[in-house]
Amino acid sequence: MIRFQNVYKLYPKNVAALNNLSTHILPGEFVSIVGQSGTGKTTMVKALIGEEKVDKGRIIVGGWDITNIGQREIPVLRRQIGVIFQDFKLLPKKTLFENVAFAMQVCGGHPKKIKKIIPHVMKIVGLETKADRYPQEVSGGEQQRTAIARALVHRPKILLADEPTGNLDSLNANEIIELLLRINKFGTTIILVTHNREIVNRLKRRVITLENGTIISDQSIGKYVL
Amino acid sequence: MFLSLARIIKFSIEDIYRNIWLSLVTVILLILALFSINMLLVVKVIGQAAVEAVKEKIDINLFLKNESKEDEILALKGEISALKEVKSVTYISKEEAMANFIDKHKDNPEILQALRELGNNPLAPILVIKPANLDILDNLINRLNTISNDIIESRNFTNYKMLLNKINDITNKVSDAGLVLSAIFVLITVLVVFNSIRVAIYTHRREIMIMRLVGASHWFIQMPYLLSGVFYTLIGVLSIMGIFYLFLTLLQPYLEAFFVGYNVNLLEYFYGNVFTIFGVQFLGVALINILASLLAVRKYSRV
Ligand SMILES: Nc1ncnc2c1ncn2[C@@H]1O[C@H](COP(=O)(O)OP(=O)(O)OP(=O)(O)O)[C@@H](O)[C@H]1O
Ligand SMILES: [Mg+2]
Repeated sequence: MIRFQNVYKLYPKNVAALNNLSTHILPGEFVSIVGQSGTGKTTMVKALIGEEKVDKGRIIVGGWDITNIGQREIPVLRRQIGVIFQDFKLLPKKTLFENVAFAMQVCGGHPKKIKKIIPHVMKIVGLETKADRYPQEVSGGEQQRTAIARALVHRPKILLADEPTGNLDSLNANEIIELLLRINKFGTTIILVTHNREIVNRLKRRVITLENGTIISDQSIGKYVL
Repeated sequence: MFLSLARIIKFSIEDIYRNIWLSLVTVILLILALFSINMLLVVKVIGQAAVEAVKEKIDINLFLKNESKEDEILALKGEISALKEVKSVTYISKEEAMANFIDKHKDNPEILQALRELGNNPLAPILVIKPANLDILDNLINRLNTISNDIIESRNFTNYKMLLNKINDITNKVSDAGLVLSAIFVLITVLVVFNSIRVAIYTHRREIMIMRLVGASHWFIQMPYLLSGVFYTLIGVLSIMGIFYLFLTLLQPYLEAFFVGYNVNLLEYFYGNVFTIFGVQFLGVALINILASLLAVRKYSRV
């Protein structure tokens, strides 16, 4: 599903953020990526959605070599990869429903289709009763679930989560992880970037550990090793 | 496709509305630019009318001796008519000149009284010569000066050429000033439109970031801002049409008073060419605004 082949990424005035990174992630996997701050985890995520170009090596997503992806093809890629972040990235002046609908509207989704899909994804994330609220009227966990709902509207094969629980207490964090596991059960490949030792250890799934832009450990039922 | 277009238009109008004051300033500057451009046109039309009016008036009077014989006069008339610089020659006999004179002074009994006391007709017969081409007026005057005929009493060649040059000079100077002014306004408009789009993009940076994240096409992200440029133009041109209608309606009486007897109707002129005049302006300004918007979008929409 996702393949990194000897990938290098050098930011200006920086040692390599990705340094000969190679890995292969299979369809339907739930992979945690851990590592200290500044080891290139977010850079990996950005490279996967075409936000950052890498300097060397190849990145292949679902058989598509996106290493030198053109500006016009990036939207196509992003409709196949859902992304969520630590800071939710919701629009404060739109309700949760409108926030999710926005993702479909700006991609040319038909109103009928929007009306059908949004209640469905809101139900998946358990927010069907709060869809009319504004982001500041719900908890951080609920905001993150809204972001997940938004990431799901294009039925992506891959969901990237870059520290999705970073701003949440453990209760809300656990709910988000449960939700990701449920989405993974539908067959969506999940890549979870996290600092949370407890979560990683409890997941008992594959764990990739990064250090200085390269993989120092890759365990199929991993523990948080740092 | 149609759906996206509808959404783009909606987004665009929201953009304009969200920064309503900036949008207003943009439109007002646009109107000023358009006003100055249209004023140029007005000056040009008036200048042309003035030149035509003067040209219409230009003729050369050849005063003949009082006792000239009819057949001599007609012979001279024939000779002058044959000149290629001459459009037409009109012969005004003593009697006609007298009739004209009396008609002209019919409200002035003292003059008429004086004329009656004089007893005979003191007025000279005249040949009124209309030049064929004003550019070679000098040639014609030289030519007439060489004709030696005893019956010619005097040659009165008013220098209309200078007047024409003066009018042309004034028109050109006003046009040049207008052109510079228009260019400045257009430049300011471009900067203001560029800035408005920049601010609109800045206001929407979060939306744009999310749009890019969820896979909206570049076309969809950028189009509303380009469209804003077109909307500004549309509002500007429609306003200037209204403003100019008012302006010309107010100006017309003064023009008519100034150009008595000549058909100088700016309103009619603008009416007759309304689609050409404002259509060209719309296309031109829209193009400029789209370019300014495009520049702003290219530069700032990478959030
Ligand atoms: N835009 C950028 N310009 C220059 N250097 C950058 C840029 N983004 C990241 N870096 C550097 O690249 C390295 C990797 O950054 P990255 O964001 O991938 O780390 P990370 O593993 O996600 O860290 P964290 O756990 O703190 O989020 C860091 O040293 C960072 O300073
Ligand atoms: Mg990071």
